[in-house]
Amino acid sequence: MTADATVAVRARGTSRGRAAAIGAATVVVLLALWEAAVRLGGLPPFILPAPSAVAAAAVEQAPQLGEHVATTLTEAALGLAVGSLVGWLLAVLTATVPTAGHVTQPVVLLSQTVPTVVLAPLLILWAGFGLTSKVIVVALTVFFPVLIAAASAIRDVDAEHADMVAGLGGGRRHQLWLVRLPASVPGALSGLRIAATYAVGAAVVSEYLAGQSGIGVFIQRSRKAYAVDQIFVGIALIALLSGLFVLGIVALRRALTPWQPPAARL
Amino acid sequence: MSLVFREADAAAGRGGDASPAAGPAPVLSVSELSVVFPPRRRGDAAVAVLDGVSLAVVEGEFVAVLGPSGCGKSTMLRVAGGLLAADAVVTGTVTVPRDAAGRRATAWMPQRDGLLPWRRALANAMVGAIAAGVPRERAEPRALELFEEFGLAGFERAWPHELSGGMRQRLALLRTCLAEKPVLLLDEPFGALDPVTRRRMNAWLAGVGLAQRAGSAVVLVTHDIDEAITLADRVVVLSERPGRVVLEARAADGYDREAILAALDAGGPPMSPAGRSLTA
Repeated sequence: MTADATVAVRARGTSRGRAAAIGAATVVVLLALWEAAVRLGGLPPFILPAPSAVAAAAVEQAPQLGEHVATTLTEAALGLAVGSLVGWLLAVLTATVPTAGHVTQPVVLLSQTVPTVVLAPLLILWAGFGLTSKVIVVALTVFFPVLIAAASAIRDVDAEHADMVAGLGGGRRHQLWLVRLPASVPGALSGLRIAATYAVGAAVVSEYLAGQSGIGVFIQRSRKAYAVDQIFVGIALIALLSGLFVLGIVALRRALTPWQPPAARL
Repeated sequence: MSLVFREADAAAGRGGDASPAAGPAPVLSVSELSVVFPPRRRGDAAVAVLDGVSLAVVEGEFVAVLGPSGCGKSTMLRVAGGLLAADAVVTGTVTVPRDAAGRRATAWMPQRDGLLPWRRALANAMVGAIAAGVPRERAEPRALELFEEFGLAGFERAWPHELSGGMRQRLALLRTCLAEKPVLLLDEPFGALDPVTRRRMNAWLAGVGLAQRAGSAVVLVTHDIDEAITLADRVVVLSERPGRVVLEARAADGYDREAILAALDAGGPPMSPAGRSLTA
């Protein structure tokens, strides 16, 4: 029995390790193919620089990258926090007060029928070139998946849980505190995990339009200078930051929903 | 059949009378309760689940409501516990004492345990106290005592999914006790368990003496005759849907298992002799 359990655990561990190894190998092979294609194909560096050239550009630009990364990171993190909080609160509100749902639904849907990128120039006009307009763009992009996931988690609350609380003499306040609010947390977190993948992208796009600093500004400047290798540095940074955000959300999830088995967390 | 009917009517009359000197006043009384669910879709017929059921429960009593699946016994318990779909048509009277704050004197336990997956065992038990407005300072020491008594000591910090089926049901019962209500309404508390665990739980529950605690009474709904006989001071048999009371038996008079089975069968659709002997 114990031996069997050990074997099962080890098998799972190995398969996870193997998956990671295969993933890493794929990336290495793709990079090697890219390097080979550029060298053998004789592509000019202003069209497609080799990965080695991108790496060299990254090292060269490293001193000034820190500030850009810090700007984008701040915008994305604040936007993610504000957006997910608003999304979660809206979900709880619409679930508790149906009328509030009828009021907010058309506004929410309208905000999603127009892409946030299209709204960005307006937001910059209203909220200025600084941090605020970028945070709003990210928050607008992020709140929707959190709202949808949290709202459906609350809607799917087991009728038995609600009855259980009522059968013990609990009222609406108890339903909210004991059942609905906690039930919304895992939903909100899975929405947040999806949202985290495009928070950095939204911040960068808003930086394209206006700003003194940020990865978007760095990419725009590189484009004007035909420094294609630097554009790739920017893209790699966006991917890296997005990945970090997702890892952060996964850690947050582990901390906030300790009752969920690890398999259900991802 | 008509004789059984009169017996049920007499019982209802006794429960409804306010004056009789015989016995204590009921802590929960249901009289002439009928419940009809309106048709779900156009063209469907309305479903009558209960038909004039009367039941009076006195302090210290453990009553089992026995009936076939779907006879409306769970519906009766939900009405007594103040829970029912808003669209159901309910006639008759349910008399439940209320405390100074206007809260019902009943605590209802669902068929499935209803444990909240995000709360550890102790926190889940405390839901009973929180929902019923029992102060934490009083409820928590009580909860720890009951964990000991219910054989759950050492599992206070376990998550519900880490507990076995029997432990989960005991925890749900513990939660219901922590509401400190005089009347416990248990809807097939062990219905979801395997037969072995279920027998063990019933033996344990019989030993706990739930109804003998100060000022309390228990109404248990079940389709298991042995569970009813093992646990209850009084067994009330309901017919097939729409449920009517077809027999009442008291432990004090000695249970006649055959008679209860016959009442169960008589209240249902006719059975072949082979089917009859199988059940008996």
